[in-house]
Amino acid sequence: MDNSGKEKEAMALMAEAEKKVKSSQSFFGSLFGGSSKMEDACDLYGRAANMFKMAKNWSAAGNAFSQAALLHLQMQSKHDAATNFIDAGNAFKKSDPQEAINCLNRAIEIYTDMGRFTIAAKHHVTIAEVYETELVDIDKAIAHYEQAADYYKGEESTSSANKCLLKVATYAAQLEQYPKAIEIYEQVATHAMDSTLLKYSAKDYFFKAALCHFCVDMLNAKLALQKYEEMFPAFSDSRECKLVKKLLDAFEEQNVDAYTDAVKEYDTISRLDQWLTTMLLRIKKTIQEDESDLR
Amino acid sequence: MSAYPKSHNPFADDDDEEDSGRAAPRRGFNFDDDPEESSLSPAERRQRQLQQEVMRTAQSAVDSSHRSLGLIYESEKVGSETAEELIRQGEALKRTERMIDNMEQDMRTSQRHINTIKSVWGGMVNYFKGKPEPPKPAQKDQPVSYEANSRLQNALAESKQQEDKYQASHPNLRKLDTSGFGASASLDNGPPDQNGYPKNKQLRAAHQQLDSNLDEMSLGLGRLKNLGLGLQAEIDDQDVSLDSLLNKVDTMDGKISSTNRQLKNLK
Repeated sequence: MDNSGKEKEAMALMAEAEKKVKSSQSFFGSLFGGSSKMEDACDLYGRAANMFKMAKNWSAAGNAFSQAALLHLQMQSKHDAATNFIDAGNAFKKSDPQEAINCLNRAIEIYTDMGRFTIAAKHHVTIAEVYETELVDIDKAIAHYEQAADYYKGEESTSSANKCLLKVATYAAQLEQYPKAIEIYEQVATHAMDSTLLKYSAKDYFFKAALCHFCVDMLNAKLALQKYEEMFPAFSDSRECKLVKKLLDAFEEQNVDAYTDAVKEYDTISRLDQWLTTMLLRIKKTIQEDESDLR
Repeated sequence: MSAYPKSHNPFADDDDEEDSGRAAPRRGFNFDDDPEESSLSPAERRQRQLQQEVMRTAQSAVDSSHRSLGLIYESEKVGSETAEELIRQGEALKRTERMIDNMEQDMRTSQRHINTIKSVWGGMVNYFKGKPEPPKPAQKDQPVSYEANSRLQNALAESKQQEDKYQASHPNLRKLDTSGFGASASLDNGPPDQNGYPKNKQLRAAHQQLDSNLDEMSLGLGRLKNLGLGLQAEIDDQDVSLDSLLNKVDTMDGKISSTNRQLKNLK
């Protein structure tokens, strides 16, 4: 197979690169143009890493890229170092998520040092995604999304910032950190209201904010709903608003069946997604708890 | 008469509904298990079957309008998500353009330095050429959407007015409330009597549901249309900025390669 051949070649290149590095650090090496030897070594590391990638040996590729990045750091070329760290991170993503996160973090440090916040934000999002899927650490994912949103806001990219903030809000609501989620949803919805294209999604955000209010307290939800209708008249025509009103009524009457019927009716036309179902079930449980309390 | 076997194919029945007035009483049609079936005359029985046909048709119309409504909302959702992505992309394009402008600035400075290095004469030429132009003021984001804004808002206001006029003029929407089915004696849903319109209320309810669904559908389609127009406007603007970006990047590319060459020759 071609791959094993490539691997051998790659190992050979790695060995060569290491020799170059060692030799450049010796006395004579630094006399006779040590830096060009380091550059060659970097080059060799890069080529080796690419060959490892072809052979699908992701950890080795990641290692090679990290070595290249460290060399670049020594040579004070931060840009190249950061790029190589990113490549290392991508390679490690497929084999060792933790190592990937380390590499990406180092790259982010370099970028923030250089003032390239947009790219740093982009990589924060990548890290957060890794935490979401592979390492399943929601708190850290939220932290990274927040950091990314802050950087984006600093660079005046509101839509990208909003995208990250929405993810934060989704997870926060799932973890029952309702005030945070409410704040984010309201902020994004108010911003969306004013834009011609985004206003079609504004009702969605108001709906989610209302549901979060509902999970906290029914009265909050009522007041919030009125506030949103005043702010954004088109919201009152939407089916989402009608659904929330029906749910509020069912809640007041402590009528679980009416609640379920309203939800089912909404579901026949637009499917409810995972997040919405979770929130609605939580609210339903509070109705059932109140009912059993009264008994 | 024994109960009709339940082997009918609902789709086949739907196709036959045009001939329902003339066809013989259908076999296998077991909508209603009335023991009084046998007491009705053939004409009345046919009448009841016709009503049941009508009910079924109305019901299927309501169901399909539900489905259409669902599809419309789905399209709206997809459209609004597309809009968000598009706006994000527009911002990224603007950022890129700003960075390219910065790069051009830097390139000019480096060119001047190279000229100084190459020769004394070059340095003096630089002095006379003067400083490179100061960078253009950084553009604020989202000037784009405002242009589309007023146009779309006008379209929205117009379409709303249009809708009201349409509703007032459309004959069906007037007639529904005084629907001719309402023989006053036939208002209860009890066992079918000689009156012949037992499903009256349900039919009316079905029609009303259908009409309200159709209203919602028309609203939804209006929103979809405006969304589409907005998307088109945004895409056109981004097209223009993409073209200018392409030009700038090309010139930048040329400058960089020429600078590289000069640097190599300097050695």
